[in-house]
Amino acid sequence: MLELVDSTKSFKKVKAVKKLNMFIEKGEIVGLLGPNGAGKSTAISMLSSLMEPTSGDVRYCNKSILKNPAPLRKILGMVPQEIALYEDLTAIENLQFFGRLYRMKGKELQRKIDVILELIGLTDHRKDIVKKFSGGMKRRLNIGVALLHDPEVIIMDEPTVGIDPQSRNYILETVKRLNEERQMTVLYTSHYMEEVEFLCDRIYIMDKGNLIASGTKQEIKQILSAENTISIKADRWNDAFIASIESSPTIHRIKVEEKEITIVVPKEVNMFSELAKMAEQAGLELRSIDINSPTLEDVFLHLTGRALRD
Amino acid sequence: MLWQIIKKQALILLRNPVQILLLLGLPIILITILGTALSNWMDGESIEINVKVAMIEQEDEEKQVNQFISDIESGVIPETAIEMIKETAPQIAPIGILKDSVFKSEELANMIDLHEAKPSEKEELLDDSSFAAVIEVPENFTYDTLQTIMLHEDISPELRVYHNEQQEIGANIVSDILTQFQEQMTFGVFLSEKGIDLDAIQIDTNELPGEVKRINQGNPISSKDYYTIGMAVMNVLFMATAIGWISFHEKATHVFDRVIIANVSKWIYFLGILLSGMIFAFIQLLVLFSFAWIVFDVTWPDLTSFLIVSLFISISVGGLTVLLAAISYRLNSENIIDFFGSVVVSLMAFIGGSFFPIGDSSKLLQTLGDLTPNGAGMSAYLTILRGEGISEVSHHLLYILGFAISSIIIGALSFPKRGASA
Ligand SMILES: Nc1ncnc2c1ncn2[C@@H]1O[C@H](COP(=O)(O)OP(=O)(O)O)[C@@H](O)[C@H]1O
Ligand SMILES: [Mg+2]
Repeated sequence: MLELVDSTKSFKKVKAVKKLNMFIEKGEIVGLLGPNGAGKSTAISMLSSLMEPTSGDVRYCNKSILKNPAPLRKILGMVPQEIALYEDLTAIENLQFFGRLYRMKGKELQRKIDVILELIGLTDHRKDIVKKFSGGMKRRLNIGVALLHDPEVIIMDEPTVGIDPQSRNYILETVKRLNEERQMTVLYTSHYMEEVEFLCDRIYIMDKGNLIASGTKQEIKQILSAENTISIKADRWNDAFIASIESSPTIHRIKVEEKEITIVVPKEVNMFSELAKMAEQAGLELRSIDINSPTLEDVFLHLTGRALRD
Repeated sequence: MLWQIIKKQALILLRNPVQILLLLGLPIILITILGTALSNWMDGESIEINVKVAMIEQEDEEKQVNQFISDIESGVIPETAIEMIKETAPQIAPIGILKDSVFKSEELANMIDLHEAKPSEKEELLDDSSFAAVIEVPENFTYDTLQTIMLHEDISPELRVYHNEQQEIGANIVSDILTQFQEQMTFGVFLSEKGIDLDAIQIDTNELPGEVKRINQGNPISSKDYYTIGMAVMNVLFMATAIGWISFHEKATHVFDRVIIANVSKWIYFLGILLSGMIFAFIQLLVLFSFAWIVFDVTWPDLTSFLIVSLFISISVGGLTVLLAAISYRLNSENIIDFFGSVVVSLMAFIGGSFFPIGDSSKLLQTLGDLTPNGAGMSAYLTILRGEGISEVSHHLLYILGFAISSIIIGALSFPKRGASA
């Protein structure tokens, strides 16, 4: 339905997106995952007709939108990464203004606004100035504005950045419901693995302007089928232990956190005894060693050798 | 759609008390301070000012007085009255008083340079821009004045005063002097100082000599008038920065992206900025001038002309608004707006004469000032405030319109093609 075809976007200094191919079909929730600066926002700016690609094409229903973006814009809702709202206006005034941009008016607009306010849980705050809103409330209104005209496709650019877990869950549940109840097509951009895992059927993973993996959740996790992810826990680490892990030829990838080290190793290797030996030699007491089924985070670690939130 | 955009800009503006203070409070404070503090200087009591005034007499006052006396003698007036009139008439001959006791008085002699000229020199004098005013005493002025005062004839002779529009201060001073002269004659202060018994000559205080007829530059401009106009044309420029700033923030916060995604033409949006700048500037001018009208009594002889000049200034502010918005969009930075608001506005206001009549001191500066939209607007306002018709300022209005159109075109050319492009 909506696709990027060999799309490249270069800015003065950086090539933000390199020959990207990507598509979304009707009724899907597609995730676009990648660390900051991966090129996600640039990719969806091209998809949503905000930016023209330097080369390549953007198609909606098999027609290029570069010359005529109107058909896409009619059915598209866009949630920018930024809070794209008038902070000096109230929630209602914002919704009214953006609703009128879509040529809605009068009773119809009023009714729609009430529905949206209910949906995003801001009915009680509809007459408050947005400036006074919490981060979560702003994010919810940011989404609500994009839903006013009943779009068939909604593109959301990191809609949960910097908000409390409660608001975040609320938003995720809402997106899921919109997809299930109204068959809304969703492209969901995030650098949080859990969100994409929870929401999406299909996933694209980007890094440094390139697509590094794509497919269904299962397909992507199979990338790791030959490997295990092992999480080691302790109260603290010492240099000797980390050095011996790093020098081990069987360990592929390492991520060190305060009380947890995550490593990726081939399936056939039994790491338990080896890790126990390393700990003993380093004079370190381990709390636990667990073999995990792979997460998307592990996939990313596998593909790039870096943790996603680096 | 357009209306929605304008309404939204208005709401945002109104919710920013700091902006409102800058746009309305600041000019009002400045008008009050400058208008009051500089009123002495502006209204002509400074000794550093040297005003050249020419006086053309189409009569000979001595002959006029003699004529008056001999006409009375041949009339039916009682002998005693004739004696008294004979004695006082030469003393209250108005032109003599004006020349010797007013213009050449100790207080004014330093400031006023009175040049007595022959009627044949009139054209030459009117062309000479070094004179702030030319006073023409018509034929039989003295005779008629004496008749009015002493015989209660209803003649009301008038002096003709030609003011030089390039010398605002000087022309004002002359006006003020003539007005005071008139008042002094009216209340007889002047005469009583001369030791004349008012009762004896029975001056009729309703019929006055020396009424000033304003032929060229009519109403004098007070310092409050001047600074109301000066501050209004300066501060209206801040409307361009205020709306430009709001518009830039629509881009910075990606609200502009939403407008584009909604498939609203960017030209509608552009027009929205233009009209917002224009309409709000117009309202701002109306508020400032209404305030000045109520508090400082700044009144316009012709309201329509005033509204037309205000409209043209507002159009140029609209043009500046889109220009600033477009450039800030293009450069992706609000620095241009800040720079304009802090440096350029002050400069333009200075050259345009908002702080003092800079053009009075040099023809070049006057021309330069009229090349700024605010300066041209100020000259237009001053001209119509003096009572001249709108046709007298058409060249200023044309210039302002040209400036506005150029700004709009440059703004349109630099307006970015799409939303989030770099
Ligand atoms: N308008 C722009 N001008 C110049 N560089 C940009 C612009 N937008 C993004 N970039 C650069 O392109 C790269 C990708 O950015 P972005 O698409 O925002 O990544 P993400 O959304 O994944 O964090 C970054 O290096 C960023 O600095
Ligand atoms: Mg981004």
